[in-house]
Amino acid sequence: MTGKAVGIEVLWDIPIPKALEKTQGWVLSAMQQYGRELVNMLWRILGNEQDVCDAYQDTFLKLAHHEQGCKPENVKAYVFRSASNIAISILRHKLVEKNHMPNGITKENDSSPTNELDTKYLTEKMRAGIAQLPEHFREVITLHDLGDLPYEQTAKILGVTAATARVYRCKAVQILAVWMRKEIR
Amino acid sequence: MWAAKGKNYCRQISDSVFRLLANSFSLDRHWIQNHIACCPRCRQRLAHLGKVELALSLLKSQPHNLNLLMRANTQAIGVLKHSLRTTTKAEHLRNIRPDLSFIEKCAKYKNAAAGAAACIVIAFLIKGSTFTSAKFLETKGRQAVEHYYASNAGEDIAKDIFTKEA
Repeated sequence: MTGKAVGIEVLWDIPIPKALEKTQGWVLSAMQQYGRELVNMLWRILGNEQDVCDAYQDTFLKLAHHEQGCKPENVKAYVFRSASNIAISILRHKLVEKNHMPNGITKENDSSPTNELDTKYLTEKMRAGIAQLPEHFREVITLHDLGDLPYEQTAKILGVTAATARVYRCKAVQILAVWMRKEIR
Repeated sequence: MWAAKGKNYCRQISDSVFRLLANSFSLDRHWIQNHIACCPRCRQRLAHLGKVELALSLLKSQPHNLNLLMRANTQAIGVLKHSLRTTTKAEHLRNIRPDLSFIEKCAKYKNAAAGAAACIVIAFLIKGSTFTSAKFLETKGRQAVEHYYASNAGEDIAKDIFTKEA
């Protein structure tokens, strides 16, 4: 009896919006609202359907457990940044695994002039390059180029101005171009 | 108020400066094109930048299965708490398929639409050319008959007949 009374008291102490947030219906709303864009972005980063599903699951699991189930201030920013970071860590993990494989298995991916315009080779090199970029450059590339978000939204998510986002993107492309040139040499 | 106005003013100036710079240094400018044509180093740099853009567009153009969103939603909902998993919204998300845009929906009719448009254009052209040709023939025929009358029956009679008709 006393326990029940205490329980009600505790419930009354919580502000009403927070109590509503505890139902976490907003997690499903976020999934409905940003799901398609997220899946597209993750697919472009990872290029593997199972990895996309895993990254997507981790993103929403992280969202549901954000500060003991509280809704983040900017759900879109939180979801996109989390998804991008999770996807990049999966990609890095895969690259490390690939580098530790015996030479015979990875030999077909060696850089050579014949491979230069090969779609698979180019996309793999690009993914590896994106995974190695510094954080702020990488996030602009993943959100703007792979997530199809305009500069204004990308900048808002990253907390910078649109002009800064453009500069970051330009620098990122320059770095990627230098890396690709080195690979070919 | 003043600060807001000043901010807008600064933004306008920076926008125009950027526009000016973009116009002066865009790759379409003649002096840049000429330089690139002569400088192997710049040509190589440009080629590599183009390759990066190409690789990015290749990443974007690779399609995935239509049921990927459904699979991802099902997997993600599976790890959420029970009260969320059993809602109607969750059920809807489990069965969701990507909506096609209006252009994509109309894509299957594009051949028929292009054929119909071509037919309409051809009909207009035929109609236009037929009327022009008929008018031309009529003028030429009238001139020939007028000339015949003038040479056989005399100028005055021909003039009389054809001015009356006109």
